Amino acid sequence: MKRVTWGFTLLVALAALVWIAAPAVSQQKVVKIGDLGSKVGVFEGYGKYQTWGMQMAVEELNVKGGVLGHKIEIVSEDDETKPAPAVRKAEKLILQDDVKLLVGAVSSGATLAVMDVTKKHKTIHWNSVSCAEFMRTTKFHKYYFSNQPDSRMQATGLAKYIVDKMGKKVYIFYTDYAMGQSDGRQFKTALEKLGGEVVGVAGAPLDTKDFSPWFGAINQSNPDVLFLAFAGTDSLRLMTQLHSFGMTKKYKLAGIDCFLLQQDLPSIAEPMEGFVQLNHFSPYNPDANMQAYNARFKKKFGTDANIAAGSYDAVLFWAAAVEKAKSFDSDKVAEAHEGMCIDNTHIGRQCIRKEDHQVIMDMHLYQVKGGKNLPIAKIAGSDSIGEAMVGKDPVEGFTWEIKKK
Amino acid sequence: MWLLLALLPALPFMSKFYLLLAFDALLFGTIAMSLDLLMGYTGLVSFGHAAFFGLGAYASAVLLERGIVSLWACLLGALLVVGLYALVVSFFATARRGIYFALLTLIFAEVVYTFFRYTQTFGGSDGIQGVPSPRLIGDVAIDTPLRNYYLVLVYLGLAYLACRVLVTSHFGRVLVAIRENEDRTRFLGYDVQRYKLAVCMISALLTGLGGALYPGRSAFATPDLMLWTVSGEFIIMVMIGGLGTLAGPVVGGAFFVLLQEKVSSYVDWYFIVIGLVLIFIVLFMPRGLLGVRDLLGGRRWRTTA
Repeated sequence: MKRVTWGFTLLVALAALVWIAAPAVSQQKVVKIGDLGSKVGVFEGYGKYQTWGMQMAVEELNVKGGVLGHKIEIVSEDDETKPAPAVRKAEKLILQDDVKLLVGAVSSGATLAVMDVTKKHKTIHWNSVSCAEFMRTTKFHKYYFSNQPDSRMQATGLAKYIVDKMGKKVYIFYTDYAMGQSDGRQFKTALEKLGGEVVGVAGAPLDTKDFSPWFGAINQSNPDVLFLAFAGTDSLRLMTQLHSFGMTKKYKLAGIDCFLLQQDLPSIAEPMEGFVQLNHFSPYNPDANMQAYNARFKKKFGTDANIAAGSYDAVLFWAAAVEKAKSFDSDKVAEAHEGMCIDNTHIGRQCIRKEDHQVIMDMHLYQVKGGKNLPIAKIAGSDSIGEAMVGKDPVEGFTWEIKKK
Repeated sequence: MWLLLALLPALPFMSKFYLLLAFDALLFGTIAMSLDLLMGYTGLVSFGHAAFFGLGAYASAVLLERGIVSLWACLLGALLVVGLYALVVSFFATARRGIYFALLTLIFAEVVYTFFRYTQTFGGSDGIQGVPSPRLIGDVAIDTPLRNYYLVLVYLGLAYLACRVLVTSHFGRVLVAIRENEDRTRFLGYDVQRYKLAVCMISALLTGLGGALYPGRSAFATPDLMLWTVSGEFIIMVMIGGLGTLAGPVVGGAFFVLLQEKVSSYVDWYFIVIGLVLIFIVLFMPRGLLGVRDLLGGRRWRTTA
């Protein structure tokens, strides 16, 4: 290569490096926390509410003097709902911005990849949206905490309600990546344990535009209940298409907690009528803590809160652990988290289970009526959380095979 | 120049994060350079280079995941897998020219992407995650940003040397002849398809080697690495840097990575910004970033041969 060209190459590289390094100036008495979530695409809604939950917690904490005398600042990054950008951005948040807490990601696939980064760089990591079952089992590490009910937590309570009240023959239709596969697996296991019959299973890729090719198989297996493990804009499209094929009237519908955000329900109220799910929050739950949280959220952002409210609690838990540890040191803060309880979360008092760092959360069965998620039953957190399985394979012996009855 | 690149980590602001960013910049720059062998020198536009990159990454990740942590084994595995695939793709694609070559490379790559996307043995859409760092020799692991940086620098150096030797040889002249007039080259007695097949293989293997280095830095390989949009990004890197220059695509790749990193921290739809930059470069800097010297009144950069 000609020498002058290499010189030019180096000049461009140096200019670029100076450019990217320019804002990396730290401020005193400020502690940064990272918000990693989907800002665009199929899970954009969840990412937005995750950010808002964190903002609300940070504002409340900063009014009281921050944490350990430090003002808290949020640095937000887009994970593009994919592992590669999620890892790159997590590294940026940890290594460049020096965040002491990372909340995210939204997609389970991205969160699983980010867990390797937070483990490697010993960073406190809270997950408030992703629900794959591997996070608190095979992928678990000491800096990881979760207040999102994972697939196992959702499956048992929901399967029992379906078998008891909705019908025994169920078709499982899931989005074919970490989250949907996990929800489908755990639900199938729970349903079969309770005597239900899985009459068919199918997975559709994330961000599928046309679901109709799968509808024939669903109709052929003639289920009582259609269990749907989708989220975001996938759910919107799926419900619209199921409705136009008359399948929302033909079958009873149930699904995962993040199937659709409350904000989406009014616009798709008719197809969603009667849809049952198990989750920890609804703005239409009369629970005093939820109502108080929702009122504050609505006052600030002009809209109801939703299940991404866990990000609010994540910041509160971390701040409480830092105060308890009297340090930002990750090891000390991680230890301080274990077994900790706080009273002021979005659903009242919650505690972190020491063994797998999962928050024990009371769960509610909700049914959509007139575009609103209304509570129909409550399941105590201690009943839904399941045994701690750190290091154990949560899908050992599982098979998608349909057991004919 | 090489000395300066070697000393880059010593700069005061080169944190671990910037070393990782420098790794990405050099890795994708080198892959863009290997694509330049096809685009810039032979006149073949490949829309399937992401498959070579992704296959290299998967070959390496599978070995690492199964406890075969030797870097050399990972590189060899990637060469075998990518080589086999590239032989099939190149055999069919080089029998066609122009848009048909581009389409065939795209279709083959989509087949590979779909295979990995739906095969649970390779982790399906989540890919293979949490793989350990490769070992250079004995217990010396490439497990720090600094070691990864020097590894990719060596990769760039060797790849550049190979490409430079290639394009300045008789073989390289024939490639340029094919680009300028394929029929006339054939009439001169050259077996054009054999030349095209050879350069496709070389470009694919260099890209696959880059892919093999990726899991060591990121700890995963996912089907997204093989998506057609990634192939599109490689083409953009070559265009930004300057076709048929070798050094240009390295600059283009580095520029693209840094621009993507910086802009995406401020703008969600950062590809709009990158698109505008590309439009500007195509319209006003058809020789890419290396063509800036022309605007500044410097010596005109001769592209190929």
